[in-house]
Amino acid sequence: MPDTTQFGGLDGDTNFEGTLKPNTVLLGRYEVTAIMGGGGQGAVYQARDKNFPSARRLVAVKEMHVTAADPVQKAASIRTFQREANLLATLSHPAIPKIYDFFDQNDRAYIIMEYINGSDLEALLVKTKKLPMNKIIEWAIDLCDVLYYLHNYQPEPVIFRDMKPANIMIDSLGKVRLIDFGIAKIFDSGIKKHTQIGTEGYSAPEQYKGLVTPLSDIYSLGATLHHVITRQDPRLEPPFSFAERPLAQYNPEATPQLASIIDKALSFESENRYQSCLEMKESLEALRYRAVQPAAAPVSAPTASKGATPSHIGADQSGTGFFVDVPDNVDAGIQPKWTFKTEDEIRSSPTSFSGMAYVGSYDTNLWALNLETGEFVWKRATEGGIASSPVVERELKQVFFGSEDYQFLSVDWKTGRIAWSYMTNDKIRSSGRLAHGHVFFGSDDGNLYAVLAGNGRQMWAYDTGSAVRGSPVVTNDRIIVGNDAGEVLGLELNGTRKWSFRTRKNVTSSPTVDIEGVCYIGSWDGFLYAIDAASGYSHWRFRTNGAVMSSPVVSGNLVYFTSTDGKLYAVNTQTGKDRWSFDVGKAIVGSPAFHQDVVYFGGTDGIFYAVDAKTGKENWRFQTGGPITSAPHIADNVILIGSTDATLYALPLVKK
Amino acid sequence: MSFLRRVFSKSESDESKPKDEGNSGLTSENEPASAETPPMMPSYNPEGQTAHLDGSTRPLVADAEQITNSGHPVFGYVSDVGLVRDNNEDATFLFYASSSSVENHPDFGVFIMADGMGGHQSGEKASSIATRAVARFILDRLYLPIIGGDDDYDRPPIAEVLIAAIKSANDLVMKEINDGGTTLTLMVLMGDWGHFAHVGDSRAFLVTRDGADQLTRDHSLVQRLIELGQLTQEESRSHPQRNVLYRAIGQSDNLEVDTISRRLPPGASVLLCSDGLWDNISQHQIREIVNGNGSPQQICEKLVALASTQGSTDNISAILLRMPGM
Repeated sequence: MPDTTQFGGLDGDTNFEGTLKPNTVLLGRYEVTAIMGGGGQGAVYQARDKNFPSARRLVAVKEMHVTAADPVQKAASIRTFQREANLLATLSHPAIPKIYDFFDQNDRAYIIMEYINGSDLEALLVKTKKLPMNKIIEWAIDLCDVLYYLHNYQPEPVIFRDMKPANIMIDSLGKVRLIDFGIAKIFDSGIKKHTQIGTEGYSAPEQYKGLVTPLSDIYSLGATLHHVITRQDPRLEPPFSFAERPLAQYNPEATPQLASIIDKALSFESENRYQSCLEMKESLEALRYRAVQPAAAPVSAPTASKGATPSHIGADQSGTGFFVDVPDNVDAGIQPKWTFKTEDEIRSSPTSFSGMAYVGSYDTNLWALNLETGEFVWKRATEGGIASSPVVERELKQVFFGSEDYQFLSVDWKTGRIAWSYMTNDKIRSSGRLAHGHVFFGSDDGNLYAVLAGNGRQMWAYDTGSAVRGSPVVTNDRIIVGNDAGEVLGLELNGTRKWSFRTRKNVTSSPTVDIEGVCYIGSWDGFLYAIDAASGYSHWRFRTNGAVMSSPVVSGNLVYFTSTDGKLYAVNTQTGKDRWSFDVGKAIVGSPAFHQDVVYFGGTDGIFYAVDAKTGKENWRFQTGGPITSAPHIADNVILIGSTDATLYALPLVKK
Repeated sequence: MSFLRRVFSKSESDESKPKDEGNSGLTSENEPASAETPPMMPSYNPEGQTAHLDGSTRPLVADAEQITNSGHPVFGYVSDVGLVRDNNEDATFLFYASSSSVENHPDFGVFIMADGMGGHQSGEKASSIATRAVARFILDRLYLPIIGGDDDYDRPPIAEVLIAAIKSANDLVMKEINDGGTTLTLMVLMGDWGHFAHVGDSRAFLVTRDGADQLTRDHSLVQRLIELGQLTQEESRSHPQRNVLYRAIGQSDNLEVDTISRRLPPGASVLLCSDGLWDNISQHQIREIVNGNGSPQQICEKLVALASTQGSTDNISAILLRMPGM
């Protein structure tokens, strides 16, 4: 078992041999019987006190090197040692080992102290799989007690400075004993010049500024308890990152009450911690009378979700069933400017153009409405449900959309009159993408089609081998699209394959490409992928706990997307690490939209959310009457969102 | 001065090796490139002139060396023991491959900087073992499939390969070195993309005309204190624990690796360096020197020399890669 503390420094002779051989007798009285441990500073021996010939009285001998070369410094070290040892000798507390004697000889200083038969907590953590929580709490109470004793010592408070598992012994009676009163520090040669691994981990932030107060001991006690409870060694984690490892996540027995005590002790600013160990002790004692076991305590279900970020969402999503009839906008404030009810579910996204709003419905119609008022203007019926979102060609003034009747249609924006139609071999759920005078769309027949926008003439069709339900992204030299076989294809503009990339499940997500030429696309395998659009090399992928059915949006260096794990994610495009996530608790299949630092999306909980893009905090929400499966469209001063309650909502675009 | 001699003598030995002129198409007239010579590392040789190499110093001429418009990156490196230490715990690794065919593979490179620590030569062992393990893993998982013509279907995300590579090095160092560890900062070059991964406090900078952008975040105590607003940059320079890392290879079985992917703009440079360099040179100086005259090799030498004259007592290492197309 490697010593986890530190192999840092260079003075670390890790194979401590000690300078005293067994049977050496110190002061004609203490006979060394064994080496118990040691490090760069010296060793600790077990010795027998020969003044008690008939009893086997054991003592611990702590040896320290006086490393200073300068004789003046050396003398100063020795004086400090004597002063500190004198002080320690006067301490009297059951958790503090007694000091019998101290002296120096041959450039070494020795302390003879009570021998404690037991194991230190650090070793205990290694040896055991689990420590009983009630034991830990008792130890914590005793540690508070001894620290309180030290902090109130007269004439001057004593600050322990080095609270950590390795300095806490659990004796044969199961009681805590503090060892190593930092005397060794006197002999520390000072600044470490060389890079070393491992921080002190338990030290309070102010200690790094050279400021040590009793409140620093409280922090270190918190850190120690955090380590013991979570079994996550703080020396191996970024300093001051305890809050990122909530107790309950690592130890289901840790109650919220206990967690809040530890949290308070670990407050970054010392004024937010317990202001005395007595206070902390009392809080801990209060736990004794509660169920320490996981029991009935309403632990806030920390179980599965690992690495969960705090849920920002307000309490209530209770009873929000799939089909709530009456929109119940608790949050008030947000009232739709208008709503329009179609005859079946709205599964696709609306769009707008020149004062008109367009939305396809599963009732087989494409509806055209007045964007200002929501009044009906015209509808274009097809022979199948419409799950494809309309797009508008601004110059041709035509609206393009696909239908489950296998057709892709182009209709006049003002009248709905058909300009052309294109028949594929299966249902069309993919939405068209306009670029370079063409419209590109997929079909369940497995083809990606490139059709001239003006007349509907096919330029090419690429057979991907499996249904294409997302829409492609088209850049200056690349077309990227996914299919139901989980493939992501990168094509040249002429429809020849440039690369392909395989995900493990269906890809219904429509990719987006950022200004750096990186394509982002989700898969039902749970990942969002970042792929170099030019070469098809994947840079990174981000794992969610559900399927990523929706399409991502990028703004700046964040990519936003949703997952059926119930979260909206904001992930850094360069590192692939999440900046924040927003948990609605119920699957999200609709894609987000980004507008002026706000991300908008709807969930299958029927709620439409506005979330601050920088912080991931909710701005507002709006309840619709059914699950939302599509993305919102933002036009001038309204947000259009369709819901499976068959209604298109026009919400005011409000600033928070 | 003995230091400078050491630095330059190291580079001289590099210079005295026979050179490939590379495929830059910029071969000087007095040294016609033979058609048979396959293009190797493009213009690793900074000048293409060997005339004034026997002097101890080399005139820092501004001409005859801006040969970066070959369409390929150029690079150089220096790893110096420094003035005080008697062993070099830094390890560097460079691999660069370029090809030209109908398959049109992007230029590929692996550049690794590791700074070892620990007693009894453990540091130098840790950095060399880690460097080797990481290089091997990356070439195996990323490069060999390319030249093996493997199906492009199942290519793993690059960031994941880099993380796995560093973890494999961690396993090896944990097994073989019991009292040492190492930082490791690397870049995989793929076309004009730089994919970086790192643990510890060796740094990567992206240097453009606009400035030197530090791409890595030190896994050090002081950096953490700075981020938490407990320490200023100024204070951190003299902090007694400024060399304490909380993350490094060889520390524990679990290792978290940071990655970042950046498109490298035309003419931009990437600098990988150990703390012996960045601790003694300001970011401003880095930018000035990297954007100044000279080949990447010369610039590395200048950086190392400056770090040393400005008081570095550590090993000093730098790898510099410059993208084509100023």
